[in-house]
Amino acid sequence: MKDEVIPPQTALRLPDEVMRLSRMGSMFPTRLSFLRSLTRRLAAEQVSVSRPVWQMDEAGFGHAVYQLTLGGHIYSLVAVSTDLPAELRTDRVIATAWDSAYVLYDGVPTVDEVERIVATAPKQEAARFTQRDLVLSRANKSVRLFAHVVDALRAGHQPDHDMIRDVGYLMRTTAVYGNGKFGIADRHLIEDRPGLDGPFAAEMLTVWLIRHFTHDLVEHVGGAPLDIALKRHLGIGNSTGLGMAPFLVNHPVLLNNWMMVRETALARVRALDKLDVATQERLWALAERAAQHLEQWNVPDADHQARIIALRADWKRLCGELDFSTAHPIDAAMKHARQYALDAQELLAALVIEPFGDLVDGLTECMGDPTDGFAGGVRDTEALRDLITTHCDWALSPDYNSAAGCGQFWYVSEAKQEPRLGLRFEEDGADKESPLDIARRINALHLDLKDCDLPLSQFLGTWPEHALAVARVQMLARYPYAEIRDNLIATSCLPIDMLRCKLSFFGASKFDPKSDRWTRITLCQGAPLADDLSTDADDWWLPVFAA
Amino acid sequence: MIASANEVTGLAAKAARGAGAGPQQAMEFGRAALCHLSEGRDIADIRAALNALPEGPICALPLAFMALTEQAQGDRADEVISSEGYGDLALSYAQAQVFKVDAVKVHAGVKVCLTLNVPQSLPKVARVQLSDDLAQILGTLAARTFVPESEASRRAGAGAGLTDND
Repeated sequence: MKDEVIPPQTALRLPDEVMRLSRMGSMFPTRLSFLRSLTRRLAAEQVSVSRPVWQMDEAGFGHAVYQLTLGGHIYSLVAVSTDLPAELRTDRVIATAWDSAYVLYDGVPTVDEVERIVATAPKQEAARFTQRDLVLSRANKSVRLFAHVVDALRAGHQPDHDMIRDVGYLMRTTAVYGNGKFGIADRHLIEDRPGLDGPFAAEMLTVWLIRHFTHDLVEHVGGAPLDIALKRHLGIGNSTGLGMAPFLVNHPVLLNNWMMVRETALARVRALDKLDVATQERLWALAERAAQHLEQWNVPDADHQARIIALRADWKRLCGELDFSTAHPIDAAMKHARQYALDAQELLAALVIEPFGDLVDGLTECMGDPTDGFAGGVRDTEALRDLITTHCDWALSPDYNSAAGCGQFWYVSEAKQEPRLGLRFEEDGADKESPLDIARRINALHLDLKDCDLPLSQFLGTWPEHALAVARVQMLARYPYAEIRDNLIATSCLPIDMLRCKLSFFGASKFDPKSDRWTRITLCQGAPLADDLSTDADDWWLPVFAA
Repeated sequence: MIASANEVTGLAAKAARGAGAGPQQAMEFGRAALCHLSEGRDIADIRAALNALPEGPICALPLAFMALTEQAQGDRADEVISSEGYGDLALSYAQAQVFKVDAVKVHAGVKVCLTLNVPQSLPKVARVQLSDDLAQILGTLAARTFVPESEASRRAGAGAGLTDND
């Protein structure tokens, strides 16, 4: 629902500040995240999930079908569980077999359709799918936890609480495909449906249902129910690598809209001139929850663990210095936090939005791209130079000829078309480089524009290689948050910063990097269960395991 | 092969890249190819356009539309774009623009009427029939954009080792 009267807001944080990899790589999930939007919608409609098919053997292999109605449409998750030899288990895109495979189906599948999906879903990219198949996914068991939970339940007791807290998921998705891949339905076929109109809504619905399946599966194999509190803490893990990184570069309008919504939400809450006592108490309670969440967030990577430890200390100190009873308390808090590291700043930014659903939740309707990248064009080289001067100085300063300035290159591997990052001066393949070097391209455009005074079509007739840079510069006039304002081919570029940004918008938490280009995360941890969709089920920001 | 719209735009764009087009030109060709195929227009136009690279309509048609926008009076422009040698591809490019374009074939080419302040989306087709022949051509060209596997890239290129697991 659009705002009838636009609420007051402060100035938005500028793209030069927000669209830097280091800050994007410090983002946390917020109430604007896609999963939060979905679960609010599920709760508002009091959605009920049924399980009309459960054909699993004692060991938990077979298939199941779940169904729900959302926004007037029926959706079914067909889940296939397979006996996977341990040596075949890998989260890489180049895997060829998985513990489980899924299709989110549009409607109620017939027996023949279920049979088709049971046969094809386990093949994933090697199969073809239909326009009734909305999302394709697969997941592997947590080797650490799944067997332990089964053993515990079989032995007549609940699993070890510390393991539940530390692992946080029974299975881990390794891909969640939407929008037409491998023949599944294009997003435009469902984008107008209530409940699936938000970005990645179908994918989030699939993940939420997969989580439900993993609970059912472990209870089936274990022969006993899990405690509700344990189930609530068990989300869905996810392994994310470079495949997600190019998305942010290749969908600049979406990136702009996501960032702009978040910054607008922040600007609205910063404009509040005072807070009542109940809201102040709510902020303090959430700050304390965040502190506990940080205590429960531990990862094997030493560098990242050190970062989390530093954030714990920063957070404690920062919270000790804040006062939400003053005038313009949130604006004052955000200004005060600027002396802290980016992690603390971004955690605070996520916190201060949280209590104000009435003020900000409506903004989520602006996170899509309804105009397909519509942007006004400039007509000549002078106008283009002006745009570069206004919006692109970040692209003009790096030395792209130095080894450090161009030491990496993005490419797509022959092997299952897996996106990868190579070292330009050590590996072959740079001649097939993917065009993610937007900053370098804008700089090259700027150099060739010098002293030109031509209609743009004539300029590009002579220099066609600048067409991408021209399109991206033109876009910035309308979409100021469209570009990552860093050199993505520099040796200093950490793709994991891009992954964290996108995953935070999904609603992910507990980032667990395995390298600078691969991370595990947890989705739906703390999210309402399928039989727990009460109207106050939205309070699961940065969940804490309390069992 | 029955493909989704996204598969067609992606594959056609990769094919154009593999045949020598720049990334922006390739992306615009992908959009136009979707319009072309979903309207049942002659696939020979697609093949010819790819064969003509690094020249031909994949380079020329985006510039032709850009030139029209430069000549626009306010937010509107009316002109005939020559489509000689391009078959119906000019019509497809008109449909693929991000602003509203009304286009009709005339003797000299394609008469277009641009409304630059009104967005236009790609047609929302559910399925596209790709002939085996065309799918093969597009796939072969697209494969030129992939980097052959090496043990080093397999191990390090994605950042997860060979068997990320827990």
